[in-house]
Amino acid sequence: MKTQAPERTRGTLRRWRTLLTALTALALLTGASAAWAIDLPGVMALLAQRKSGQAHFTEERHVSTLDSPLHSSGTLTFSAPDQFARHTLEPRPESAEVQGNALLLKRGGRTRRMALDAVPELSALLGALRGTLNGDAAALQKHFRVEVSGSAAKWVMHLTPLDSRLAAQVRAMEVVGQQSDLRSIELDLTGGDSSLMLIDPPTALPR
Amino acid sequence: MSMPALVPPRRAVVLLLWLAAVLLAVLQISRSTFTADLSAFLPANPDAQQRVLIEQLKSGVPSRTLLMGIVGADTGARAKASRALAAALQRSGLFETVSNGESSAFADVGQWIFEHRYALSPAVNAQHFSADGLRDAIADSLSLLGTPAGNMIKPLLERDPTGETQRIAETLIPSNAPRTEGGVWTSRAGERALLLATTRAAGADLDAQALAIARVRSAFAAAASPGLTLQMSGAPVFSVDSRAQIEREVRWLAIAGTLLMSTLLLLAFASLSALVVAMLPVASGVLAGIAAVSLAYGTVHGITLGFGSTLIGEAVDYAIYYLIQAHGQAGSGAGWRRWLGSGWPTVRLGLLTSICGFGALVFSGFPGLAQLGTFSIAGLLAAAVTTRFVLPVLVPDGARGVGLRRHLGRLGRRLFAVMPALRWPVLALGIAAIVLVWQRGDLWRAELSSLSPVSKAALALDASLRADLTSSDAGALVVVQGADVQTTLQRAEVAAARLEPLVERGVLAGFNSVTRLLPSVATQQRRLHSIPDADVLRRALDEATRGGPLPAARLAPFIAEAEQARQRPPQTPASVRGTPLAPLVDTMLLTRSDGSAVALLPLQPPSATGAVLDSAAVAAALHGLAGTQELDIGQELGGLYNRYLGEAKAQALFGALGVVLLMALWLRNWRRVLAVCQPLLLAVLLTLGGLALCHVSLGILHLVGLLLVVAVGSNYALFFDLLREGGDSDDDTLASLLLANLTTVLSFALIATSQIPALSAIGRVVAPGALLALLLAAVFAPRRARAA
Repeated sequence: MKTQAPERTRGTLRRWRTLLTALTALALLTGASAAWAIDLPGVMALLAQRKSGQAHFTEERHVSTLDSPLHSSGTLTFSAPDQFARHTLEPRPESAEVQGNALLLKRGGRTRRMALDAVPELSALLGALRGTLNGDAAALQKHFRVEVSGSAAKWVMHLTPLDSRLAAQVRAMEVVGQQSDLRSIELDLTGGDSSLMLIDPPTALPR
Repeated sequence: MSMPALVPPRRAVVLLLWLAAVLLAVLQISRSTFTADLSAFLPANPDAQQRVLIEQLKSGVPSRTLLMGIVGADTGARAKASRALAAALQRSGLFETVSNGESSAFADVGQWIFEHRYALSPAVNAQHFSADGLRDAIADSLSLLGTPAGNMIKPLLERDPTGETQRIAETLIPSNAPRTEGGVWTSRAGERALLLATTRAAGADLDAQALAIARVRSAFAAAASPGLTLQMSGAPVFSVDSRAQIEREVRWLAIAGTLLMSTLLLLAFASLSALVVAMLPVASGVLAGIAAVSLAYGTVHGITLGFGSTLIGEAVDYAIYYLIQAHGQAGSGAGWRRWLGSGWPTVRLGLLTSICGFGALVFSGFPGLAQLGTFSIAGLLAAAVTTRFVLPVLVPDGARGVGLRRHLGRLGRRLFAVMPALRWPVLALGIAAIVLVWQRGDLWRAELSSLSPVSKAALALDASLRADLTSSDAGALVVVQGADVQTTLQRAEVAAARLEPLVERGVLAGFNSVTRLLPSVATQQRRLHSIPDADVLRRALDEATRGGPLPAARLAPFIAEAEQARQRPPQTPASVRGTPLAPLVDTMLLTRSDGSAVALLPLQPPSATGAVLDSAAVAAALHGLAGTQELDIGQELGGLYNRYLGEAKAQALFGALGVVLLMALWLRNWRRVLAVCQPLLLAVLLTLGGLALCHVSLGILHLVGLLLVVAVGSNYALFFDLLREGGDSDDDTLASLLLANLTTVLSFALIATSQIPALSAIGRVVAPGALLALLLAAVFAPRRARAA
């Protein structure tokens, strides 16, 4: 049995969320202040400060075919170097956990495990994610064109996919942070849909 | 020329009968089929579980799956070649499936699943279509929208708002799919593009497999840019290569054996006519052997033919004994009568002991070994009968030529004179061998794979391709069997339900089941019957979507398609014939000619590297389910082999016992029997000791070799016993003995050089063993015989 197209997409989605989760978590981890203009190395340095953390999030998605936006909320957790999870609590409990190359999905009482690198779009995201986690701008830039603006107090990282497969799905991504905290992640999809995830300041990850 | 007992008409009858027999054998051989697969070394009478295993190995999907790798150049070139190769193979029509990671290849299957989603989705039940159930299911679908995955789902939303397609697809996600790069499968290290293809032809159809492999090569040659190399592995490659190798070796062994024996005979007799005559029993024996195997087993294995070259060495002995001993007192055409009185009984006894040894093989559970036994018995019988009846007609006085025989005889006499001095050193060596063998407790540690002619390099390539493709032949399965297809499917559904919690607990990374694509008719009917009629569904949908983001008015296509699904008949293995689903169903559901069926549920052990499957947990989960068992192919094969090794040990023991009993019956004197057994036992011990010293891992075929050492060596021991009884021996008799031993040792030494492990194992045991048997027989020859 080989991967089918729908399941592939579904996997991609999950991983996207996972990426978002991790990015968010990363953001939550940092907390210094600086008023001057910041560049990519500066953001990377801020993000690299936090090794683990947990934060509450709320998400709003706008979908062209739906009459009203979709809302969800839950928690994001991250633990360096390669462990991250998104637990959605509302409206329906579901979770996606990543450790290394393994992805664990739980949804509606069903559990599935899969390999991350089996889905190419995901490989790109994963590379970017790992690059971000490790403060490795080069890894991030391998898959995205990165533009940074703002200051350490509030910075904005604009990501545009370089990989054509990923670009076919994702138009752009905007990550906003304060110091070493990620505060929001906005995703613009090619179909005109979009999502905005707002992240609360993080708390330390319970040991 | 006077021929008192054999008048011309009777000579003609003998020759005609012989010619008729030869013709019949040739006729039978011309109608025979020849095989060269490893299946000859799989058990003939398996139990239910082994039967599944063997069906898998012989004709299951693995037996017709090709693994391919493309290396060299860069990622882009490899991906391009992968796509071109996959497209060419698909066009060729020789392959049922071709996969290289391109998702478009599965569009057809996805379409089929979408059309049959209400029969396939595990979520479908009456509650699912109530207002609450619909609300819940729609919320589940919507949770994916607004993400990259949502782009795929959005177009289906109005037809499948409850997300059945995603739910089915989700169950089909492999937990261990290969890595994808540039749109095609790539090794995890990134330096190799990967493809999988299953042939339409059965795995056993080697001609078709060879054709498919050739097509892959030519398609690659046409598609690939310079710098790219194709790697190929899988059971079809092994089978086809092995067959070619066995064919090559059989031809080489036959030619080399014939040349070697001819040279020896020419040296011994210095006569071309003697050579031709001596080859008659050999040729008759080989023909009879092949014909007998073909009659008894339907097919003749290539390894049997390779082994046949040793028959040349054995059968030629009869001719040598006859030609030399009938000549003894040259003269009036009556030499053969003298030989019938003096030489023939010894040859007959040797024949019987050999048959005793090979007879044990006939009862082997391995058809391959049984073939060797049958071949040798029929061959030796035919050779002996030809020697006894045909040679006297053709050369009543044996062979006149002397050649180097006198020298050989004198050499033998001198050699045998000094041998008894070695008695004590040999005994000491024997004791040393016992100690060595006893110390190396794990001497019998060869595995089934040691019988396979596949080279280590080829196995390593296979393992690395399999690791990259995360496709393991030797993995664990749950095997579900039932008297008919539907029973099997129902049982598989129960088994799958029991396995599901193991995935949650992390005991399994995942598993696969045919019932995810093709549930039992009962399950499909239950699902389809739970769909309410259009009006009821519409009302429930109105309620479920009230106040939600997706208005019911947009979902008319859903109501129409649910109504269609209600009226569609359930799918069966028969009804999916010819659909894109068929190849996938075939890999996981096997139907037999008696109507019974087997479902295979491959288990994926917890996350890739080094993790071991908790078989006990799986067994506990499946406990009490009818017709359901866990099967670890690697373990099962090992167990199978060990069982047959045990059986072969018993058979070898019985064979050896048979040889001893025969000699005892003949000699009717326990002291003489013991004297004959002594060198045989020592020959076996020293051979074993030598193998242990060389750190050879012993397997069934070494055991067979030891049995043959006893069967063949007994002839030499008997000869020395007869020397003692009969008194004097002339140089010619000694020469015939040495020559006969030489031919045997050389013919087994020849197969010891074979690249086919099954043959070389036997050769490496019998060649030194037979030589030792002769030398030791001389060492322990009764002193009186020497003095005489």
